[in-house]
Amino acid sequence: MVTIDLAKMPVRKLNETLRGFGATHQNAEIINPDAKHYIGVGLISPILVKVRGSAGYYCGGLCDGPHIQVDKNVSWGVGDNLLRGSIVVGGNASAIAGVGMRGGEIVVKGNIGSRAGQVMKKGTLCCAGNANFMAGYMMYGGRVIVLGNSGERVGEDMMGGEIYVGGNVDSLGNDAMLLEPSSSDIDVVMAFLDRYDLPFHGTFKKIVCAGKTLRYGTAEPRLRKLPFYSFSSGGRQDYWNAKVQEDIRVKAHIGRYRIRGYGTSRHLPHFSDIGFKKDMSGAGEDPEVVSKVNLRTFIGENHGGRPLDLSMPVMIAPMSFGALSPQMKIALGIASRLSGISENTGEGGMLSAERAEARQMISQCLAGRLGWNVHDMKRADCVEIYISQGAKPGLGGQLMAEKLTKEIAAVRGIPEGMDLRSPSRHPDILGGDDLIMKVEEFREATGWRVPVSIKLGAGRVRDDIKIALKDGIDFMELDGMQGGTGAAGSEVAEYVGIPTIAGLQEALDGLEELGCAGRMPIVLMGGIKDGVDAAKAMALGATAAAFGSTMLIAAGCITCMQCSVGNCVIGAATQDPEHTKRFDVEKRALQIHRFLETVRWQLAAIVREHGYSDVRQLSREDLVALTPEAAALTRLPYNPSRDS
Amino acid sequence: MCSIAGILFKKDKRPNLGMTTGEALTEMMDACRHRGPDSAGWAIYKQPRQGRLRLRFFVNRDGGQSEDIARIREGLAGHGAEIVEDEAVGCTYGASVKYSGDVQAFSYAMEHVGQLVSVGSSLDIIKDVGQPYGLQKLYDIGRFDGSHGIGHTRLATETGVHPETAHPFWATGFADVATVHNGQITNYWIMRRRLERRGMEFRTENDTELIAVYLAYRMSQGALLEDALRSSLDDLDGTFSYLVATENAIGYAKDKLAAKPMVKYEDDEMIAIASEEVALNRLFPGRALDTTEPAPLTCGLWLRQGTA
Repeated sequence: MVTIDLAKMPVRKLNETLRGFGATHQNAEIINPDAKHYIGVGLISPILVKVRGSAGYYCGGLCDGPHIQVDKNVSWGVGDNLLRGSIVVGGNASAIAGVGMRGGEIVVKGNIGSRAGQVMKKGTLCCAGNANFMAGYMMYGGRVIVLGNSGERVGEDMMGGEIYVGGNVDSLGNDAMLLEPSSSDIDVVMAFLDRYDLPFHGTFKKIVCAGKTLRYGTAEPRLRKLPFYSFSSGGRQDYWNAKVQEDIRVKAHIGRYRIRGYGTSRHLPHFSDIGFKKDMSGAGEDPEVVSKVNLRTFIGENHGGRPLDLSMPVMIAPMSFGALSPQMKIALGIASRLSGISENTGEGGMLSAERAEARQMISQCLAGRLGWNVHDMKRADCVEIYISQGAKPGLGGQLMAEKLTKEIAAVRGIPEGMDLRSPSRHPDILGGDDLIMKVEEFREATGWRVPVSIKLGAGRVRDDIKIALKDGIDFMELDGMQGGTGAAGSEVAEYVGIPTIAGLQEALDGLEELGCAGRMPIVLMGGIKDGVDAAKAMALGATAAAFGSTMLIAAGCITCMQCSVGNCVIGAATQDPEHTKRFDVEKRALQIHRFLETVRWQLAAIVREHGYSDVRQLSREDLVALTPEAAALTRLPYNPSRDS
Repeated sequence: MCSIAGILFKKDKRPNLGMTTGEALTEMMDACRHRGPDSAGWAIYKQPRQGRLRLRFFVNRDGGQSEDIARIREGLAGHGAEIVEDEAVGCTYGASVKYSGDVQAFSYAMEHVGQLVSVGSSLDIIKDVGQPYGLQKLYDIGRFDGSHGIGHTRLATETGVHPETAHPFWATGFADVATVHNGQITNYWIMRRRLERRGMEFRTENDTELIAVYLAYRMSQGALLEDALRSSLDDLDGTFSYLVATENAIGYAKDKLAAKPMVKYEDDEMIAIASEEVALNRLFPGRALDTTEPAPLTCGLWLRQGTA
């Protein structure tokens, strides 16, 4: 046992030291902890750490294996995302103890704050005192034991797992129900209590998910194909077009909103409404143009992490393993490597085969913490905090039961066969002040090695980018309303959000207001369809552009918009082996790669035609608005004569 | 999007803290400065003197400061307030005046001669853009060693970064009432209109000012501070953990969602309350403290002993 005095050592150094101790199985005692944050974050060895006092936020967060003992209290999020090991707290724990835990054991000898065990998936969280409101909120699995009183709305919206209450059940949450515990249940709980020397002589009440809201009542009927172009053009022509009729009939059948893939199909001001001031008709005459222009882009080095190194200012937008088939994800990984750009996990965990293929992989953290774990963080090249998405800002992801297979459920750590509606709000990011706490926790867990980015659906961008900048985010992935999704309520996809170009302009204005123009790199996405759009985005002020739906179409997507159903005919957006077996990974990867190379060529040709040698020389001065709407949104000079 | 801190010594005998009240507040604020890097502020309660009022104004930091001060001095004299002491420090001008008339009318009038920050027999609000340690030095906060005070560090989200949008906020027109707040009041405009119809005035669009004015209005209608705190739990919507201070008390209220943290330490001699326990430990390094968290949808009030 080595003693470390935290009055003399910064927490960052402490965590580095503890990780080193892990390698040599050295245990540690920490004196003068003084409720400092992030003590023991990111440990992946089974060492013993004794904290002689109180610890602050995220004590033992993002760990796998350690045994941590805290003499007194802990603040928010003790044992965040714990995989294995144990944390014993001698005093009280504040809000969201055991948030998103996926294994291991957390014991709090005093009381426990609100929303304990929110979105937990596995393991045991035990409180010897009383719990505050909503213990087990949205839990997917695992066990919560409260020896005292349960607090209000215990088990609110729980989807799996079990809660045992020794005292009063103050009130039950939505879709939670009381159940008589079996004798084997009691045996397991009592054995757990014995191991931690927690005496208990009362009787337990057991609370489980009632299961009334796990699935939608009536499934959406399967209809003839109504592809994107009939959606979008039909909507402008008349009232009772095929889309509107279908919509009404389906709602008359299922009695709720419909779910579909893709983003808005309405016409919105976009990059096609912006043109270059200079005549571009000669662009592309030089076959060697790519070699004459510098497109290489580094992004994410603002806070000391190793930046992403992109061969051109392009990324692949976040799309999940779950929404997409493993084959499609692997194809994206291969294509990103071949084109020297980055891939992104999207929601729901990292696919190892894809990680192996992609040279640079961004790991995304969403509110449900599905598939989230410290090991994937450590093998990622960037960690991204998802706040929202352009297609459905303010709402969580959806994955219908048809696509929630055993494999996907295992990766995400949740029960299979439910209509998964991911939470829309992070348990521990309820405002700008919480966001900074989370960013720092991620930096500690990854040893300050990788950039931390934020994914934001375009809404209140002007304010949000200021918060992101102040909270030490390295770069922002900004997603406009034209961005796609694997599943969203149809009306939400159609009408909620703001257009991509408007989002970018608001972001730039927000930075300008702080006097921080250029300090927050913006990766723009949302309906960007080629290198010309990307060049315009960069001229307007983006640092890079990201492609999502475009990648799917490059891989053969027929834009039927039925991504949520799970019957994708090309095998891209499905988990059904009957469909995925048709997906030729290598061929599709090469298609995506070839498309990305046209993006590179277009970017280079446009840069060169302006007489520049670097993509960063493009500026607003090179652009005009071709429509009054685009002029109003971007303040570019209105000049329809440049439309060619 | 911020951190809050408050400290109150129950009686005049002081525990052996090894720091002044001002330094203690600053330490607590510095411990949480990650939650609010934009601006910082203190509401400190100095010894009241019979027939005296303290006023603090914002004045132009760069050019025009002397013109601002001359105008304020003239305004004070014009309303029958005799300046006893005054100081110009940072972006503020503070004055201690002899005045015995109606405070609310006087302070509404003073609003027209300068940008008024606070008025009270003991209250002095000092706030500025910057971080606690730097501002403590500039404004000599460490010298303050009175009975109680509250402090705040701010992360601006919806309004700009200026001294006037920093916390604490004074309950415009009501002597000695100040608030600091972490969170967001979502029924701001409904409540503001309601209070404006009853003659209350607002100087900013900051929701924390609304809390201060709301509490002061309720007290002006005869409610005790404790009752005003309790009714605020129903009347205010949104997420909030806030502190209110008066010339002899500190109170808190916390909304039902408990989304904004607040931790309290109490012993026989003092009470300290802050957004995070790490702030309380700054007062007692190396000690494992017995702390409690105020429960959701509760409020509380601590009076200085012998002042009830």
